[in-house]
Amino acid sequence: MKRALTLVLLVALAAVLLNAVADLPPHGSPDTPAYTHVGAYYLENGSEETGSENIVTSIILNYRGFDTNGEVTVIVTALMAVIAVLTGVQDTGTQPDAEVIHVAPSVVVRFIVRVLAPFILVFAVYVILNGHVTPGGGFQGGTMLGALAIALTLVLGERESSRLLPQRSLRVIQVIAPLTFVAVGLAGLFIWGDYLFFPRDEKLRGFAEAMLVLIEAGIGIGGAVVFARVFRLMGGRQ
Amino acid sequence: MTSWPPLLVLFVLTPLVGAVLTPAVSDASGRRSWEWALGTMLLTSAMAGALIMRVLDEGPFSYVVGGWVAPYGIELRFDEFSAFVAVVCLLGLLAVIFSRHYARDALAPGRIPYYYTLLLLNMTGMIGFIVTGDLFNLYVFMEILSLSAYALVAISGEKTAEMAAFKYLVMGAVSSLSILFGVGLLYALTGSLNMADVTGRLAGSAEAPLVLAFAALTLGFMVKSALFPLHIWLPDAHAIAPSPVSAVLSGLVVKVGILGMLRVYQIAYGSGAIDLSGLNLMLTWLGAISIVMGAFFAVFQDDIKMMLAYSTISNIGYIVMGLGLASPYSLIGASVHVFNHALIKATLFLGAGALIHQTGRRTLTGLAGVGRSMPLTTAAVSIGAISIVGIPPTAGFLCKWYIALGAMQAGEPLFAVALVFGALLIFVYYIRMVNAFYFRKPQEAGAPAVHEAPATMLVPVLILAALCLVMGVLGRLPLSFIEPAVTRLLAPLGGG
Amino acid sequence: MIDLLWDNLDYAASMVLFCIGLYAVITRNNLIKKFMGLNIMETAIFAFIVALGVVDGGNAPIMGEGAAKPFINPLPQALILTGIVVAVSTTALALSLVIRIWRQCGTIEADELREAE
Repeated sequence: MKRALTLVLLVALAAVLLNAVADLPPHGSPDTPAYTHVGAYYLENGSEETGSENIVTSIILNYRGFDTNGEVTVIVTALMAVIAVLTGVQDTGTQPDAEVIHVAPSVVVRFIVRVLAPFILVFAVYVILNGHVTPGGGFQGGTMLGALAIALTLVLGERESSRLLPQRSLRVIQVIAPLTFVAVGLAGLFIWGDYLFFPRDEKLRGFAEAMLVLIEAGIGIGGAVVFARVFRLMGGRQ
Repeated sequence: MTSWPPLLVLFVLTPLVGAVLTPAVSDASGRRSWEWALGTMLLTSAMAGALIMRVLDEGPFSYVVGGWVAPYGIELRFDEFSAFVAVVCLLGLLAVIFSRHYARDALAPGRIPYYYTLLLLNMTGMIGFIVTGDLFNLYVFMEILSLSAYALVAISGEKTAEMAAFKYLVMGAVSSLSILFGVGLLYALTGSLNMADVTGRLAGSAEAPLVLAFAALTLGFMVKSALFPLHIWLPDAHAIAPSPVSAVLSGLVVKVGILGMLRVYQIAYGSGAIDLSGLNLMLTWLGAISIVMGAFFAVFQDDIKMMLAYSTISNIGYIVMGLGLASPYSLIGASVHVFNHALIKATLFLGAGALIHQTGRRTLTGLAGVGRSMPLTTAAVSIGAISIVGIPPTAGFLCKWYIALGAMQAGEPLFAVALVFGALLIFVYYIRMVNAFYFRKPQEAGAPAVHEAPATMLVPVLILAALCLVMGVLGRLPLSFIEPAVTRLLAPLGGG
Repeated sequence: MIDLLWDNLDYAASMVLFCIGLYAVITRNNLIKKFMGLNIMETAIFAFIVALGVVDGGNAPIMGEGAAKPFINPLPQALILTGIVVAVSTTALALSLVIRIWRQCGTIEADELREAE
């Protein structure tokens, strides 16, 4: 009964939605407002104004850098939330931890992860550092790094895998992404007068690039630590 | 007032940096995290004060991040509606102060640093949401705000806390998606994300997607502000959360939905591209139903926090009804009630938190006779109760009066009747509460001897109660403060 | 209407996907499946916004040698990159809540949890 009712309601909703999107500017046409207004400006001037060949990166880090500032805060918020939810309390519930089954991964898995690990690492670093000329950037590379840490956590023993995350400085490293972002942004504020300002002068291009790489590295490392940490917390480790 | 350094962006960054560094500066059991959070909130509040002085001085102003020009860069904008940050900072500050003893006793020690982190992140999200002038940036800050709010509900350690948080999360995530969808549609129609730019470019868009865009945005914000019948997540979440968090959620976080609606109205009225009278009629009705239903459910609650949570739904009804009536008086009343209800509800929740903390009981039956042992706290809660009913000379009176006047002005006296009826119902349940505090004997003979809460809990409650009275006496001041913004909002309609 | 819809097939598809996700959110009893429904809805909205940036015959918006017009609109892609991170964050929190609920109550079926309350 509930399902049938939901179905009817959703079909009605779908009709409304389809009716509305049918009247949107035609898909794929170069004359839509979405293509001719702000987007066109980015395509026209993005490469020149920001010095980044990849326009998506120039939007993420330059034009809409403040969004990305918020975005790195969102993943840190998620990590803080996961820590707050999963740690600090004794379980009073009915599910004893003994039911968690530990299965050692097979030799094949262990071997393949070990062989691939250096290559994944190199590729991740490459993606992080080349975000401004090729598809990629801090988040993409950071995800790879995080995946690598997760894969290694699966095949290594508890002692070795806990060493993947620097325990002592963990409380700073896990928030490194917003910290570098704010630090670089404030450098722009104090040197050139605007938060997240990157010098557009031809002479200072190298300096601007260094700032961008710093942000990308911060996002990459910070993101990877967050992913690895969330995974370990969900597995009941610290 | 100089424009450098750009205080507006630093204002968002201060709680952000403070939040992420909280676990790093405190040890595992949360020592020093209170001091750190307090310092951060003091600094943030000082900035809020400076910004409000500036908006009083020169009217709305904006800052574009990164030295770009709007609409290509992200614009931060501060207008009279943004002055809500004053309440955000004040409540944030008092909630942090209140948490000093509360958190130590009520939360697991390992969670305390993360509790403060999430509280500060919540503030960051709220401040960013209020000051941004960019639609997608609004979404990003809304997510910081929402994620931290879900976690703050789950953190309390009550048995059903996680379930309440999950329910809140699912509803919240669906509403966020609805808002993102609305933003996407507006982008498809105008090619821009800057609110002012979108407003200017909206005229002449196809009607069906335009209506859908505003419907999606409204729906999303209505869930966030828990308007009937989209309120089902609220009572559990607000009742189960730790009391300072309940105060922040009920006082501030649901108001974010209302402020979002005000932004939507700014775009819709400003562009003149869409006729919102249908939407307004619906909002007025839903507001009226919320007033009555919220109050009705509240009457039957024995759990004091559950009762306060339902009363929030009722009060959101007042605000939404004021928005929907769309007459100058009702809009002014609604905008000021956004401020005043935040103060009143925070008084009530923090006061209730102090009572629960000292007595260990949370039902009206259990709290019977508590007025004798905790006179100051119960006095403060009673002031809050009188304010929320709207008896002069307290903060609640003038805004409800203005909303009622607005209903008359809009030629809808029926809604003024709903408003008065709601106020009567609210009166009934707060009389029950005050009656329980003062005139009933403690039920159990062996009740532990309770005394007033420690100063860190008592002082914030008393400050808030005093503010409820002050805002009532100064009533005209906030009204005349918000008036230019409302006049500007309604100017394109020709009603002014 | 149908013609117009056919032209905007990408948008139409994401709307249908959105409704499928919503159906799962409303009707599924298992909390993880409920949340998967939410992920489907997220994907639908992301697909919709990315599709806004498509231009017929467009190339990736990467300048430099060999780059040829027309380029597709880079802005929706940049936005959705942010959107994806937000979605991942929400998923992480939701799953950790589910873990806690499972440890506390021994079930993640919504109706059984309601009885347990």
